[in-house]
Parts: sequence; C-alpha cells; structure tokens
Amino acid sequence: MNLNPFWSMSTNTGRKRSDGEEQTGQQSGEQQQRASPARPSFGKKQLPSIPKNAVPITKPASPAATAQLANGTHASYGPFYLEYSLLAEFTLVIKQKLPGIYVQPSYKSALMWFGVIFIRHGLYQDGVFKFTVYIPDNYPDGECPRVVFDIPVFHPLVDPVSGELDVRRAFTKWRRNHNHIWQVLMYARTVFYKINTMEPLNPEAAVLYDKDVQLFKSKVVESVKLCNSHLFDQPKMDDPYAISFSSWNPAVHDEAKERMFTHKRRPEDHHKGLQVSGLSWVKPGSTQPFSKDDNPPLS
Amino acid sequence: MSWLSRLTPRGPGSRSSRNVAPSSPCTADPETCLMVFENHWRQVSWVLEQRDSSSSSDDLTAVRNHTDQMLCLLAEERPGECEGPGNVPPVGPILDLVVSENVLERVVQWHLRRGLDPDSQGALLKLFEMLIGQSQQPLLQHKAVLQPLLGLLGACAEPQLGCPPSLENSLVLLLNQICVSMARAPAVLELLFRTVPAQQGPTNLLIFSLLVPFIHRDGAIGQQARDALLLVMATSASNQNVACYIAENSYFCPVLATGLSALYSSLPRKIEVRGDDWHALRREDWMGVSSLVLFMNSLEFCNAVIQVSHPLVRSQLVDYVHNGFLVPVMGPALHKSSVDEMIASTAYLDLFLRSITETALLKTFLRFILMHRHDNDTILDTLLTRISSNSRLCMVSLSLFKTLLSLNCEDLMLQLVLRYLLPCTHVMLSQRRAVRETDLYGKSADKFLSLIPDCCRLSTLPSAEQEEEPALWGKVLNSPSSESPVHHKPSTPSRLALFMRQQSTGGGPSSPTETIPSSPGAGPNTPLSPDSPMHPVPEGLDWESGYLEYLRDARRGVELCSWACRNWSAPYDGEDPSPNTAPLPPPTSNPSLALFPEHFSFQQGGGGGNGGGINSPGQQRAAVVAAARSEWSSTERDSGEWDVTIGKNSCISLTPRTKKRSLQREEVPLPKPLLLPPDSAPSADPHLHSAPTKGPQQAVFNGTSLGGQGDGCMDSQDGGMKVKKVKRELGEQRHPAGGDSSQNGGVGACPTQAPTPAQGFYSEGNGSGAAESSRGLPPQKQSPAQHQPAPLPSEPHTNSSNDRLTPHAAAPGPGSGPPDAMLSNQSEAVERLISELLDGAGPGEGGQQGPGDSNGQGISIEAFTQELRELEERVRERSRGAGLLRQLEETTRDPHSEEPPPPPSPLDADLVGSGVGAGAEPKGEGSAVGVFSPARPLGQSSSQPYTGPFMVVLFAKLENMLQNSLYVNILLTGILGQLACYPQPLLRSFLLNTNMVFQPSVKSLIQVLGSVKNRIEMFAASHEDFPAMLKKAQRYLAARGKVDWADSPMGVPTLRRSDSLVKSRKPSLGDLILRHTNSPTRARHAAQLALAHVRDGGQSLHSALFRGGAGASGLEKQAEALRVKNAVYCAVIFSEFLKELAALAQEHAVSVPFLQSHDTEE
Repeated sequence: MNLNPFWSMSTNTGRKRSDGEEQTGQQSGEQQQRASPARPSFGKKQLPSIPKNAVPITKPASPAATAQLANGTHASYGPFYLEYSLLAEFTLVIKQKLPGIYVQPSYKSALMWFGVIFIRHGLYQDGVFKFTVYIPDNYPDGECPRVVFDIPVFHPLVDPVSGELDVRRAFTKWRRNHNHIWQVLMYARTVFYKINTMEPLNPEAAVLYDKDVQLFKSKVVESVKLCNSHLFDQPKMDDPYAISFSSWNPAVHDEAKERMFTHKRRPEDHHKGLQVSGLSWVKPGSTQPFSKDDNPPLS
Repeated sequence: MSWLSRLTPRGPGSRSSRNVAPSSPCTADPETCLMVFENHWRQVSWVLEQRDSSSSSDDLTAVRNHTDQMLCLLAEERPGECEGPGNVPPVGPILDLVVSENVLERVVQWHLRRGLDPDSQGALLKLFEMLIGQSQQPLLQHKAVLQPLLGLLGACAEPQLGCPPSLENSLVLLLNQICVSMARAPAVLELLFRTVPAQQGPTNLLIFSLLVPFIHRDGAIGQQARDALLLVMATSASNQNVACYIAENSYFCPVLATGLSALYSSLPRKIEVRGDDWHALRREDWMGVSSLVLFMNSLEFCNAVIQVSHPLVRSQLVDYVHNGFLVPVMGPALHKSSVDEMIASTAYLDLFLRSITETALLKTFLRFILMHRHDNDTILDTLLTRISSNSRLCMVSLSLFKTLLSLNCEDLMLQLVLRYLLPCTHVMLSQRRAVRETDLYGKSADKFLSLIPDCCRLSTLPSAEQEEEPALWGKVLNSPSSESPVHHKPSTPSRLALFMRQQSTGGGPSSPTETIPSSPGAGPNTPLSPDSPMHPVPEGLDWESGYLEYLRDARRGVELCSWACRNWSAPYDGEDPSPNTAPLPPPTSNPSLALFPEHFSFQQGGGGGNGGGINSPGQQRAAVVAAARSEWSSTERDSGEWDVTIGKNSCISLTPRTKKRSLQREEVPLPKPLLLPPDSAPSADPHLHSAPTKGPQQAVFNGTSLGGQGDGCMDSQDGGMKVKKVKRELGEQRHPAGGDSSQNGGVGACPTQAPTPAQGFYSEGNGSGAAESSRGLPPQKQSPAQHQPAPLPSEPHTNSSNDRLTPHAAAPGPGSGPPDAMLSNQSEAVERLISELLDGAGPGEGGQQGPGDSNGQGISIEAFTQELRELEERVRERSRGAGLLRQLEETTRDPHSEEPPPPPSPLDADLVGSGVGAGAEPKGEGSAVGVFSPARPLGQSSSQPYTGPFMVVLFAKLENMLQNSLYVNILLTGILGQLACYPQPLLRSFLLNTNMVFQPSVKSLIQVLGSVKNRIEMFAASHEDFPAMLKKAQRYLAARGKVDWADSPMGVPTLRRSDSLVKSRKPSLGDLILRHTNSPTRARHAAQLALAHVRDGGQSLHSALFRGGAGASGLEKQAEALRVKNAVYCAVIFSEFLKELAALAQEHAVSVPFLQSHDTEE
C-alpha cells in the first residue's frame, strides 16, 4: 500500500520525538569523532546532537519559527509548511532523476534523509557510498543541508573523521527558492567526478591528489573497497527507512524487481471501477477542441 | 460488458414452468424418444401431405398437438457423446431426423400455406421460443431449423400479416432467445444474415428489423428487445458485413437516436422540487417519473450499444444522437425562455452527462455543449450565463458544471478556462516564468489561511458545551442575543492546540501528521518551552481540526485529477502550448495594444473605478466612454493625484507586490471600531441603517450586478488604502469610494472608510456613489441625483434592466431616508414599475437570442437604451417607490430560497430571464452585463487580459458569497475547489499562486477572497451575536453532515462515473462541513430537519435583530433574517473553503506527475 514510503514516514508522528532522542544517542559516537576542527563553525551549527551545542543550534531556529507564529493566527499551520516544504523538496528530487543517487527520507524525521550514491566511472568508479542528509530545522531559512557519509570516503572534501562532505562551499548562502536539496545531492555526486582540492577537509587527500596522484588513486581504491566491504552492514541509524543492502536473493528480490519494472503508478486509492477517463480530443500542438480527428484515445 | 453478463440466458430449468408440452416423456431413453417422435411425425406428415388445401380445424389441432410433442422431444434431446476433445458432439437422432426430413420447414410451410391465424402464429412463436430456449443442443446452425424459423419471422414481418399486438410479447421473447443463442454461437449471426428467405427483400437481418420497433418500448418487452439488440450488436462487433447492414440498411441508429428526442419531449417541463437545496436529479428523484425512466433506459441502451457495437455502428449512432437528438431537441430545450424549463433542461443534461459512460457518447455530448451554436451562442455560453442567475437555476447550472469538470476533459477545460489563460496576458510579463513555479514553502497556503476572518476563528468552545445543542437553541429562542458570548479571540497558542490534537488523536493512517520534524537538533529544545509550537494547549479546537482531512482530500483530488489529465495533449505550463501561437480568444483582439505598457496604464486609468474587473459595468462601457476617457486621462493622468488614484486601483490587482504588508490584515481592525456605533451614534444612523438593507437587494440581482459589487468591494480596500495615503479632496476620487459603498451594500466599503479622517466625506460619498455607474467616470462628478443614467447615454445597455435597477434601488436609501419610511400603498406603483422595467428587458432579451452582431443590433440597442433611460427617469421620479421595490424584491426572493417548492413568481422568473439574456448577449457591443459572455464585449479593449467568462462569473459569484444561499456557496466553492485540483500550471498558478502578479485588470482569487473576508468581518462586527450565530451554523452544518454521511452508502449509486471522487469521504469533522459531502440531496429528510432548525434559528436571529423595530414589516424582517442567515453560513463555508484551498496549494507542491499512459487499459 505504501507505494510512497515518504507518506507513511510522516504518519508516525507519535514516536517521533523519542526516536529523535534515540537518534541523538546514535550520533553521539560520531559526534565525538568529529573532533577534527577543520570547519569548526560548520560543525558547531550543524550537529545538533552535541548536547552543548544544542541550544545554540536551536536558538537560531526558534526565532524564525516564533516570528512566523507572531505573524498571524494561522501560524499553527506552520508545521505543515515545514513538512510540506520538505515533501516538495523530495518531490523535486524525484523529478530530477539524478543518476546514481537514491534518497529516502527517514521514518522518524523529514529532516533526515538517507541516501546512497553509485559512482559509475572515474577515480571512484564502483564506489557505493551511503550517506545521510541533515536538513536544518529552520529550513528553508537556515544553512544548507549537510551530507555525512556513513564511512568517511577518502576525498579532499570529506572530513576523514566525521565523514561529512563540505557542502557549504557550494552553497555559501542557502537561498530559499533558489537552492534545493537535489542540488546538494547533485553536488555530492559531482565531487567524485571533478576533484577539488581547495581548502580541503581532508588535507592529506588534497595534497596527495596534487602531488602524487598514483598514491591518491590507490588510497581511493582502498577507500572504495572499504566502503563496499561495509555495504551489507546494518544501517547506522535504526530507522525503518534506512537504506540497507543485502546480497541478491532471487527468492526475495526477483519478485520485487519484477514489480518495480512493471509498476505503474496510479492514484493512491484508485480502484478499477473508477473511471476517471481524462478525456482529450485536442490534437497535440493545437489549441482547438476536438481537433483530433481519429477515434477517442481511450476506449 | 456488464450489460451482457446481465443478459445471460435463462437456463432451461428456470423456464420449465411455462413448458408448453402437456406431457413430456423426457425421462425415457433416447431410443424410446426417437420412436415416439417418429410416431408423432408420421401422423403429422400424414396431415401435411394431404394436398387438400381445405384442411379442417381438426387437422390443425392434430398438427399442433403432435408438433408440440415433437418439439418437446427435440428440445429435450441431448447431443450424442463427444468422440474426442476437439470434435463437435454429433447431433442426436431426433435432430438428425428433423434435419433429414426437414420437419420444421414442412410444418411451418403448411401453416403458412393454409394461412396463419394469430392463434397458430402465437403457438408457433411460442413453440420455437421454447425450442430454442430449451434445446440441449445447438439448433440454429442447422438450416432445417433456421429456415423455417426465418420463414415464420418473415411472416411476422410481412405487412399484410404482421404481428398482432397480442403476440408482440411472444415475438420479442423468441427474438430474444435467438439472440441469446446467437451470442453463444456467433457463427449463427452470419447464417442469419445470409439465410435470406426468398420472399424477403434483398436486405434483411430479420431478427434485427423485427426488434428495432421495440427499442423504446416500456416495460419488460422493451427491455427484452433492447437486450436482444444489444446481443446482436455485441456479436456483430467484429462482423463488418453485419455492421454495414445495421449502419446502412437498418433504421436502428436513427430510431434509437430520434427516439430519444421523442422520449425527451415527454419529459416534465418543470421539475417539482422539494427542498431548497435541490440542485440535481438523482436516481431516487427520477425513478418515480416514468417518462424519465423511459428516457434513461433508452439513453443507457444507447450507451451500451456504443460500448459493444462495431465502430461503424458506433459512429453512426453517435452522429445520430448529435444530429437527431442533441441539436434539434436538447439545444432548443436549453434555450427555453421559462425559468422552469431552463432548470429542467439543465438538470436533465446534467443527469445525462452523469449517466453516460462511453467515451464516444461523452464526446458527442461535449462536442454539442462546446461547439454547437444555438442562435449564435454555444451551449456552453448559454450555460455559463445561467450561473449568474437566481438561486435555483444557478444551482442547477453549477451542478452541471461540476459534472463537466469531473470529466477532466481537456477540450472542455480549454474552452472554459485555459484558452483565456494560454496567452499569458493575465500575468505580468516578468511573471510568466512564475507560472510553472511550485509553492515550495507553503506561502500560498499561508496566505489563504490568513484570510480566515478573525471572527470565524473563535470556535473554541468547550467540548462539553457542544453537546447541549437543544438547550442552546432554546436559549436563543427565548432570550435571543441577550447574552451573546464575548468575542474572544483565540490566542496564537490556542491555535497550535489544533496541531497537538491532531497528534494526540493520531491523525489519519496515511496523513502527514508530523509537527516539527525532529531533526537531529530538535531533540533538546522541544520540551515545552512555553512559546514552542509543541506546547500543548488544552483548548478544544474541534472545528479547526479538519485541516488534515483537507490535506488528505486535496492530495486525493490533485492526484486523481493529474492522473486523469495525464493524456492531455499539452502541459499548459505557459510554454506549451506557446502563448504566442495560442489564438487570443476574442477575434477582435488588437495585438498592437498589448505592446505598449502605456496602454495598460491607460486602461487602468480608464477602468479607474473598475478596479480591474471586466465584469464591472463600468468597464464594459470602456469603449463608449473611450473618447472622454482619453481626454481626461491625457490631461489628468500625469497629475500626482491621478496617478495615485490609478495606482490605487491597480494596486488592488497588484496586491502581490505589496503582499508583505498584507492588505487584509491591515484592514481588518478598522471595521470593528466603526461598526459598533450603530446604536450609539445616532448621527451615523442613516448610513448604517441603509447599509444593511442593501444586501438583499444585491442578492436579488446577484446574477447581474455582482460584477459591479465585486469591483466595489475591491475598491473598498483600495479606498481604505487610499484614504491612508492621499488626501482625497478631488471629487473624482470620491466617486470610486461612493461607488464602493453602494456596491458593497454598506458592508465592505463604508466602514472601511469611515474611521479614516475622511469620515465627513464618507457620508457624501455614500450618497453620490450610490450610482456605481459613475465610478468609472471620474470626470462626471455630479450630484447624486444626476449621475445614474446620465453619464452613460450611449452605452448599449440592451437588457440591463437589472443592472439599472441596482443603482436606482440603492440610490433612494440615502436620498430619501430610511427605507422603513416607505409607505406600503406605493407597492402598486412599484409593481407597475417592475413590469415596465421587465417589459423593457424583454426586447433586449430577444435581441440577444438572435445573432448579437454589433452592426445588426445597433439600432435596436439604441432604441432600447433610449427606452431604458426613459424608464429610469421615471424610476428616479419615484425613487421612494423604488426603495420599496427593493424591499419587495428582497421579499420575493425570500420564499425562493426558503420555501421548498418555490412558486415561481413572475418577477423572479423574468429577472432571471433577463439576466440570462443579458449574459447571452456577448456580441452586442458593450453589453452591460456581457460579463458572462465568452467573447469579451467589443467595448472592452482586447489588450485587456480576460480570464474568460467562467472564471469571471465564478469569481463574481464568489465575491457575492455573503448574499448567496448556503447551497449556492456549497456548490460554488466546490467547483472552485475542483478547478484548483487541476495540475496544469496555468490554471494552478492562476488560482492558487498567491504570489503571482497579475495584470491590473485581472482579478485574482485571492483578491476576491480578500474582499469576501472583509465583508464577513464587517458583517460580524455589525452583529454582536455573530459568534453565537456562527457556532450554531457550524454545529448545524456539522450535524447535517453527519446525517448525510450516515446516509450516504445507500445514496451513492446514482452516479456511475468519477463522482466517487467526491463521495467517499470520512465523516470527520472537517468533512462534515466540507461542501461536497453535504451533497444537499443526500439525506433530504435529515437536511430538512436540520434546516427547519436553522430556519427557526433564522427566525430567532431575526427576532433578535428586530426586537425593537416592531414597526417594520414582516417581509422586511424575513428578508433581514435571510440575509443574516446567508451571511453566517457564508462565514462558515468561507473559512472551510480557505482551508481547502490552502490544502490544495500545499498538495500541488508535493504531487508527482503521472506519466502518459501508453496502454489503453485502464
């Protein structure tokens, strides 16, 4: 029934808060690792799970929210707006059909998306990198979303400890209406094809790439191998919609694959008896009614 | 193929009761049976072989008895054992004998030779019917069976013998059996077709031509005949020869199609309606009307034939339906002049459209509606004009359009809306890209929700209180308005409670109920900081809690609609089809104008008072006053004052530009302080007094005058702003303002302006501005007395009696004092006046019916205008009388929306009639009310973007919401909601993108809604018991919705198509008031029950309002009560509508388009 998992994701609000806490706990490990202060401000603002930082993080968010509330009595619909804004972003991602990138909003929060990226050629060929997108809760007025790889890929722009990709350099100022999450994803893909060593988060990788490409390449291959070897690990987040890999099992996957290929999306509760014909006798390119002269397109 | 499955032949067993054979030795073994058969046959053949033609009746009896026995045996005989899987089982021995001896042929021939008397004819028919129906083995492919059968049938078809009426049943039954067998063994069809009895003409499919006369028969016989024919159709679907025969050599198609015409002509001309909510024919409405049942049977049959038959037959039938029924019968029927007939024909058309399912047939109907011109107007034009008419006709028309919209037909939408939007001229040039933008951040939704009037947000009554409705009612009835609750505004947090409630109740199974999604950072701070949105506020917001339902419905609506539109030829996104290639709808368009921005501003200036409504009469007159306008505009336009004024008006249209300032919100507070004084400040009395009474009067004319009103209302906002910005000493400026006040019925404009420094001016403006006609013509600042007709002598107001009435009726109020002062003995004079006016309208109407070409009509229009002016002179002379006239109108309208079977008062009827005529007159230049005509009037410059008559009339109606009846509003908002489901960016952006900047002359939905909001708030502020009334209205609508819902499972089946779109809603609170659920007819008894209360409520409200004014007439009281009732319901519907629009706006942003379907299976 849940053709679009995103919808069902949003249904389970009840659990959300507690889940959020869980998630915080989960991330704490990651947090501690993030000691490397390559981009301190960045990290500070973004990683909400650090208890200390929590207040400063959320503070900037709440003024925006309250401002909205103060505006008018309809502000109670505000949560819907955030929810729907993210839905809309996700819809945009779907529409973009980004090559090799798959994302899935988490079950627990629309502000956290799981993703995986397949690199099909280039230095990182055959790499399969799982990542998580964190969207600031004052979206779309906050900073740009963050992209954190599950396993820090060896890459000049990826923090070797936290696995966070330097997204901000591409979106110095997040502008609503202009910047969209699909662009972030697109960017995350691009960095593996066009390597940039300016102001690296991973200086080692940057230096190697500039100075010793061969070594860089071998390190990359190693890193790709490492990532791929953890491919079948349990997802880092305990979330029903976290992306998990398993080896091909025809009993399970063949049918699913078949369904994916034959699936035709229909309106959610569209049942057979319902005839919504969507009549049209307009010849393409014409704006005259009944300009199509053959028999009705649908019989 | 449901039809076919329904036709499954009766099994042999079921028919045993009517077995003809007296005794059947069926239990015997085949050997014995054969012997018995042979025995009978010997005796029969002995009789047959007597050459003697003078056979006795004994012979006949003998033959008949023996034949009975023989055929029974034959029917009972089982085929031989099958000798292999693929082989046809061998025929049984009896059948073998029948074939070899040609038994049947000889018997039939003997009968025919000796002359067939009806008795034996009937006996033979029955025999054959028994034989074919009960035979255990296929018989018809044997020539020895088929030939005599056809011989018998041929005899029935012979002119001299024919088939006596008493035998028709047997004949049709036999034919039906044949067709059933044929459907089982399609090869028989070919045999039937080829086996032409010698004595028959060259062409014959006998069974067919025998059946055709019964197509439209009543009762079982007709049904059997239609079933049989349908079987022939289905069987012949792949048989070119038979199809050709049916199409070319039979009268099937013409009989079927023209039969519809005959049946239609016997339909009731007037539909007796029981409730004031009635607006469409439902199954239970027409099941009792035999003529309608008959028609619907035939129509369904048509539909079924088209479904199963050969394309050749299909296309011929469709053509015949178009040319033999729709054009000659339906067309004129829809153009009948009496309101009752218009209502009936519109409701019929709606019913037909809902009943047919076949695409080809739908196409014919749609083609008829969209393309056929009756008296120079397309049917669509005519139907559009009806929307603006008075309540019942309006409701029926709205219902029809609802049905039409539910088809999701590209051609229809193109003609209705899209072709007007295609050129993109309604959008500012710089905004064209924005057409495709989706509203990612809920800005539009926010905007819509912000328009919910404050006075409607108060519904936070404790849940306990909600249970004691009766008590409340009693309270109100007894001591009305004595202790109306304090108007307490909900605090912001309380509104948040809405959301919390959603969460706690778990929301819907699949609805997005998340609040603040817990981002990685959300955790720490969520714990209930007081101002956090998560802070639960323990306040009951049941009423508000429907938003999730709206979201769900909206998602469904958008999804289904975009799915249904996936095969459209173009996306309509402002680029495809290209705005440049798109032909401008009106042929008179002058593209050069569009190139010069100055012209736009010029137009704005000209339309000055219009505030951007094509529908405003003032604008219609644009051409007429063009010269004058250009004069003053050239001189005045550059002056600062004028710029401001113009800017003012364009400001309305440009609201989006200044949206940050939120026009509405700014103005909201203003009215309240002002409206309080009505009782306290005697000085304001006349205005306040007259203001409320204007409402109903406008309602009376709501069809025709609302364009003006709408503008007025927009202007009122303007006016308010104007006051703030500019010193307004110029008379020109005050004209618009005055116009507003009159147009708004004192609801919108007066209060807005009053609190401003220009208060003194306000009263003056009220008087002078009463004539809305002067609004657009600033140079003519005349005294109040002068300006109604004078400014516009040359305008061809052909049929504008209504239009004219408006200013006049309004004028006397301020001029002659409170309406209460009217003397009742003037009513006579008033009546005379009315009839005069209506007579005046007559010619105009006739003229519109004819080709409305400007040149052709010029003279008569002028003459008529002259006449009108004279009439108006007289009216003004008797302005006091006119005041009374207004009252009369109020009251005449009253019964219409109140009493179930409205006695069609001639006044009303004619008003409607002339209104319709007015609308139908588009081509007459500058038709005052041509608002509704699809081709815009010539008077209006083509450079002015025009969003089409549909939008204009809907918006106009919407703007008038406060005066509309509950049911009109339910339907109206339902239609707009339906429109807002369409995913095409052009339409979506036009309706839902509140950030879009439109051309100044284009009214946007948000503007219209804004003005409605203001009016509601005005109204609320002027009625201190509004909160109580509102609660009551909400509660009763909710109660009614509950009943509706409970009842709905049984009520559904009427409509077979996509109406289920609308039907299956949850009985959630949000839905209860959601308009479509309360399809008013669904639970009429319940509804009427509820309404009875509501009426009581109206009474009580009324008495509350009028307790003091004992002197006022009862009629006036009623009118006022109705007005209050409408306004209160309007407030409820309006708030819900805004939520729905907001939900739609949000869902559009997250909908994923469907791919075009390449498969035809759906």
